[in-house]
Amino acid sequence: MGSREEILGNIRKNTLFSFEKPSYEIDSIKYEDKLQAFCDMLKVAGGQPVFMSPDDDLDKLISRLYPDAKRIASNLPDVKCAVYNPDEIENSRELKNTDLSVVSGAFGVAENGAVWIPLNVKYKALYFISESLVILLDKREIVHTMHEAYKRISGERYGYGLFMSGPSKTADIEQALVFGAHGPMSVSVVLY
Amino acid sequence: MSTRHSTAAARFLKDREQEKWHDETLWLVRAKRDKMSRSLPEWETLRNLAASIKLYSNSHLADLLEQFEKNAAGNGAIVHWAKDAEEYNRIVYDLLKERNIKRLAKSKSMLAEECGMNSYLMERGIDVVETDLGERILQLMHLKPSHIVLPAIHIKRQQVGEMMEREMGTEKGNFDPTYLTHAARKNLREIFLNSDAAMTGVNFAVASTGEIVVCTNEGNADMGTSFPKLHIAAFGLEKIVPDLEALGVFTRLLARSGTGQPITSYTSHYRSPQNGGEFHIIIVDNGRSEILKNREHIRILNCIRCGECMNTCPVYRRSGGYSYTYFIPGPIGINLSMLKNPKLYSDNLSACSLCLSCSNVCPVKVDLGEQIYRWRQQLDGLGQANPVKKQISMGLKYLMDRPKVFNTALKFAPLANQMPRFVLYNKLNAWGKGRELPHFAKKSFNELWKNNQVK
Ligand code: SF4
Repeated sequence: MGSREEILGNIRKNTLFSFEKPSYEIDSIKYEDKLQAFCDMLKVAGGQPVFMSPDDDLDKLISRLYPDAKRIASNLPDVKCAVYNPDEIENSRELKNTDLSVVSGAFGVAENGAVWIPLNVKYKALYFISESLVILLDKREIVHTMHEAYKRISGERYGYGLFMSGPSKTADIEQALVFGAHGPMSVSVVLY
Repeated sequence: MSTRHSTAAARFLKDREQEKWHDETLWLVRAKRDKMSRSLPEWETLRNLAASIKLYSNSHLADLLEQFEKNAAGNGAIVHWAKDAEEYNRIVYDLLKERNIKRLAKSKSMLAEECGMNSYLMERGIDVVETDLGERILQLMHLKPSHIVLPAIHIKRQQVGEMMEREMGTEKGNFDPTYLTHAARKNLREIFLNSDAAMTGVNFAVASTGEIVVCTNEGNADMGTSFPKLHIAAFGLEKIVPDLEALGVFTRLLARSGTGQPITSYTSHYRSPQNGGEFHIIIVDNGRSEILKNREHIRILNCIRCGECMNTCPVYRRSGGYSYTYFIPGPIGINLSMLKNPKLYSDNLSACSLCLSCSNVCPVKVDLGEQIYRWRQQLDGLGQANPVKKQISMGLKYLMDRPKVFNTALKFAPLANQMPRFVLYNKLNAWGKGRELPHFAKKSFNELWKNNQVK
C-alpha cells in the first residue's frame, strides 16, 4: 500500500479546479476504401499486405512468402506447414530460434495499418520472438480509426492484447530506419 | 556539471557537422509530424479533445486512481503507491530482493530516470539492463539520454560502432546501422531470455479497466515481459486516462506528434499477470500532486511525453539535450525543472526564444512557451532576477538584434563568459554561420521583455 492515503489526500487537498468530462464524439476521417487505406498504411509501417483468394492454399502462400522458413510455429489448425504447436511447449524460452509464427488477428485499423490481437496463444512471446510473423485477418474486419477500434474492444475481456503495426523497428542509430530491433524483422498480413 | 556531461557535450560540439545534422534531423522529424497532422482533417479538434480529457482526468485524479487500483486488483495485479523517488526505488528493490532476482530487463521509463532507479538498484547489486536500443547504447557508453523519445540522437554511428566492438565484439570499423542494430538484437535477446524480472514504463493507465498501455517501436517492452515471472510497471500519476475510448484520442496523437508515424509498431495492453506470473504496478507521486495547486502551471500535467516540443524548438535543436541542467530537456524540461526546484533550475529559462512553436504543436496543448514567460516574470520572487535576466538579454536578445556580430568568432570571445549555458554549448555558430536565423518571434520577445507583460 505504501503512501496511498497520503497521496490521495494530497491530491484531494490540492485540486483547485474541476473540469467536465468532454464528449468523445468527434467527426473523424472516413476512408472511401478502408481496406485500401489499411494496406497503404501497413506498407508505410513496413508491413506487407497479402491477399488470399478462396481457392488459394494457405501453406503454399506461406512458403511463397517465406521460402527459407523451417521452424514454423502455429496453433491454428489450418496452418499445416507448422512444425510445432507453440501452445504445447512447457516454457516460453523454447520458442527461441523460431523462423516464422502464424497467428490470427481480430481486426485491422485503416488509419495506421495496425491489427488488434487479443492474446490468442499460450505465450505472447510468440508474437515477438520469431524472425517473421504472418497475421491472418478477415478482410471485412477493418475499422476506420482508433476511435472505432477502442469502441469495439471496450467491454472485451483480455489479459493482454496489442495493436501491432508492421515489424519491429528502430531509428536509434543516427535516425537510420532498421527493421527487426527486437521483434519480427518482417510482418505479413494475409487478408482472406 | 558532471564530467560525463562535459565529455559528451565537448564531443557534440567539436563537430560542427554533427551539430548541423542534429538541427536538421530534428527539423525533419518535425516536418514528418506536420505531414501526419495534415493527413487528418480533424487534427486540431483532436488536440482540443485530448487537452480536455487531460484536464478532466487531472482534476479527478484521486477518483480515477482509486478506480484504477480497484480494477487492476480485480485483474490480479498488485498495486503499490510511492510518494517519492525513495519510496519508488525501495518498492522496486524489495520486490527484486524478496525474490532473489539479480537481473532486471528494463524498457524505457522517464520515471525511472527521474527517480535515479538504475543507480539505486545497481549499487545494491542488481544488474539493470536497458533494452531500448538507444538507451542501451547510452548505458554502455555511460551517458544519459539527450532527448526523451530519441535518447541517443546526439551520438554518431562511429561512436556506437566503437562501443559495440568493445562490448559485443562486432566487426572493427563496421558502422552500418543495420549491422549494428542486428548485433544488438542478438546480444539483447540473450538478456531477455535470461532475466528474472522485467520493468516497463507506462504510456497510459486506464482507470475503467485497470490496464496499462505501453507504446514502443522496437518491441523491447513486450520481449522483456515475455519470459520472466515478474513484471513491474510504474507510472507517474498523471498518466491516468478515464477509459479505453480516451485512448482512441491519445494513441492517434502520440506517435504522429513524436516521430511522425501513424502509430508505434506496438501498442500493448497489459491487464493480468501472465500464467503463473506476478504483475506489480507502482503509482508514483514524486511532486506531481503539488503541481495541482499551481494554477498557472497545471497544464504541465497534460504532457504525454511525445517529445515533439524538443524537435520543434530552435534552441533545443541547435544546442542539444545536454545544454539543459535538468534530465528532461527542451520546453517541457524547462517547465518541469521549474516545478521541481525553481531556484536550482532557473538558468534553463534562458533557453527559450518565446517563439511559441512548442505551444503550437503540443498534441495536448500544454502552453509551454507561455508558462516559461510566466516563470520569467516570477524571477524577482526567486531572487534570481538579475543573473538570469542578464543571461537572457545577453544571450537571446543580443543574438537576435545583432546576428552579424556572430560571423566573427573573435568578437564573441569577451562575451562568451557571460553567455547562458545553451549558447555556450552551441558555440554560437548556429546563429551566424551563413544559415537562416532561428524562427524567433523577435518582435514579441523584445516587446514582452520591455513591457514586462504578455501582449
Ligand atoms: S509538452 Fe506536449 S509536445 Fe512536449 S513532450 Fe509533452 S506532450 Fe509532447
